[in-house]
Amino acid sequence: MRRLLDIRGVFVHSSRGSRLNDINLSISSGERVALVGSNGSGKSSLLAVANGSLIPDSGKVLWQNYSTSNLRQRQRQKIGTLWQDLRLVEELNVAQNINSGALANRNLLWALANLLGPIELKACSECLEKVGLSTSVLSAKVSELSGGQRQRVAIARLLRQKPELILADEPLFSLDPILAEEILHLFLDNTMTSDMDEERTLLMSLHQPCFFQHFDRVIALKSGRVVFDQPANCLDEEALALIYGSA
Amino acid sequence: MRRLSPTPPILSLWPALALLPVLISIFISFHNGGATLLWEFICAAVHPSIQAEVVQSGFRGIQITLATALLSWSLSSICGICLGIASARVVWETFLGESWPAIWIRRILAIPRAIHELLWGLLLLQMVGLSPWVAIVAIVIPYTSLVARVVSDQLDTQDRRALRGLKQAGAGSSSALITALGPAMGPVLLSYIGYRLECALRGATVLGVFGLGGIGTDLQLALQSLQFNDVWTALWLLAAVMFSLEQILSLIRRYFKFSKNGIWQIFIMLIVLLILCALSIPWLNAVDINLGEPLHWSPLPLPTVDELVNAIHALPWIQLISSTMLLTVLAAGIAIGTPPLAMMLWPSRLGIAIQRIIWGLLRLIPIPLTALFLLLFSKPSLAVAALALGAHNIGVMGRLLQEGLDQQSDNNLKALSATGAGARSAWLYGCFSGQSRSYLAYAAYRMDVILRETVVVGLVGGTGLGWQLIESLGSFNWAQVSVLITVFTALTLIGESITDRLRYHWTGFTKKLPMVVDLQS
Repeated sequence: MRRLLDIRGVFVHSSRGSRLNDINLSISSGERVALVGSNGSGKSSLLAVANGSLIPDSGKVLWQNYSTSNLRQRQRQKIGTLWQDLRLVEELNVAQNINSGALANRNLLWALANLLGPIELKACSECLEKVGLSTSVLSAKVSELSGGQRQRVAIARLLRQKPELILADEPLFSLDPILAEEILHLFLDNTMTSDMDEERTLLMSLHQPCFFQHFDRVIALKSGRVVFDQPANCLDEEALALIYGSA
Repeated sequence: MRRLSPTPPILSLWPALALLPVLISIFISFHNGGATLLWEFICAAVHPSIQAEVVQSGFRGIQITLATALLSWSLSSICGICLGIASARVVWETFLGESWPAIWIRRILAIPRAIHELLWGLLLLQMVGLSPWVAIVAIVIPYTSLVARVVSDQLDTQDRRALRGLKQAGAGSSSALITALGPAMGPVLLSYIGYRLECALRGATVLGVFGLGGIGTDLQLALQSLQFNDVWTALWLLAAVMFSLEQILSLIRRYFKFSKNGIWQIFIMLIVLLILCALSIPWLNAVDINLGEPLHWSPLPLPTVDELVNAIHALPWIQLISSTMLLTVLAAGIAIGTPPLAMMLWPSRLGIAIQRIIWGLLRLIPIPLTALFLLLFSKPSLAVAALALGAHNIGVMGRLLQEGLDQQSDNNLKALSATGAGARSAWLYGCFSGQSRSYLAYAAYRMDVILRETVVVGLVGGTGLGWQLIESLGSFNWAQVSVLITVFTALTLIGESITDRLRYHWTGFTKKLPMVVDLQS
């Protein structure tokens, strides 16, 4: 398997102490990895470091052997992120938000034209269908959608971006169990049915142990350190106690 | 066919198209020697004159302007707060159970607001001759009305449940109003009144340009005699004063931010205003401006009905009104569209830092001086007037937009950048989109201001109501002056009503105005 992401000796400090402490891990093409740990353990920081939006104080983060801090637009487009707060542009409608996932491959004129009236609606519709939303919401303002619909639009935007690696920051947080299952399957299905030659790679932070079985590998963080990095089937009660225990 | 549904970000950029006809027109009328003068002006910025008499004159001028601004600001703020309370519906409804007196007071106050301080200055000049009071009163009249409008708007849009509760509990009208509505007014007044000081300083400078003394007069004389080094001495002095005032006001706001007691804030503010008012008078006396000089009162002759009818028939109304509207639309287009366009094209840190400096300089130079400066290399035209008016307002709009962006979270920008979007597209979607709605709401308000300010550049444009008004004033044709002021006031009030609706539309509120609009107006 091709190595996509390499994180070597990464430290991130903040005024409250270390957010990431000597992180070393790599993610290979096609892997589906669950990132677990209690609140404040450093999961969001690790995802931010992985997509290049947070520059570590020391250490290296490499995307296919290139430092994530110096990636070209086309390389950066290969890393897609679903943020915990979704980060949709509230002023724009669903189609325009989905199209914003394609900005890496388009010029400023295209970006302006999309603001004048949504373009490439066929591509937007395809992404919407993949996340199980009706195309009738294409012209709706994202601020008028329900929480679940907003989440699906954010995933559709991610699909429009066509990334090789998807980083998802607690996408199941605050969802009821049925909706959480649905959203999880959207990720798993869309990583498997990618329109590219290779499967998409997934690194998702989550809390629910019942979903760990769907992943190939589990990485656990505690106080900014990796305390567990093994196949999902090795995760037992003892490991969970280590990850979530107070000691 | 694809249906166009322009979004707020694109609607904010669209007006920048006004730059095209204006710049083409100025380029066509560009005359020889203009480039040399432009270069000399730019070079003089780093070599301001340091000759003793120039610096002394500059210091005296800036003191006169600052003291005039302080006196007129403090007087207009105190009067504005009182009239604002008197024109608030909630106050009359609490005392009398009816709101008609408030509505009438608001209607009457709309008239002084519709007339620019320069026009008040020119009218007062005819009535009392050259006196330091002319500049002060010319600023006090419209500013009082502006403050009153904001105060009454703020009072009327507050939640009345607490007030009703207190009244039902048997509280007196005055104590119920103070307890229920007073505390929330503190921070609003503090911010808005502070902002008006900067406006008063700019107003006093503009009045100086028209011969009423102070740094404006120094600037105008130096520019007309092409003494660019002297111009920059005065401009840097003005910049230093404006920057210091901004810092002092920001310190005061920060200090009061932690004080939860709004009533206490209002009380302290009124004391400070009274002290500044009292201090400004001896300060003006100290720089040989005698406020005690008797005024030579000569009231304006009232025109007869026949004279008024003749004036109405004599003036080319369609041409005057259409050119005023065109001037307003072009200047507003430049002012509204340029800041987001420039930030979108140069979103880097260096680009933004350079733009901040440019916005600051454009705000600093009074509109008539920008117009005079443009006339150094271009013939008088509507395009020159629009560019001068637009350029000054670019400074105001640019600052407002930057402040809004600074207060906004950069999460969306980071998210878009992480997808690989280019810096410009990421700024447009991730940064500007979030501000575009409130920016448009403020832009609607700014159009009102620009319409009022057309009078300042009327002479340069050689057309429009402003130009005709100054011509009629110069020829003492009081019938024409009366009719023109009436039409100008009516136009401003119609514009105000249209832009009010636009503001409500952009902010999504039906009654309450966005705080940013209130505070920056």
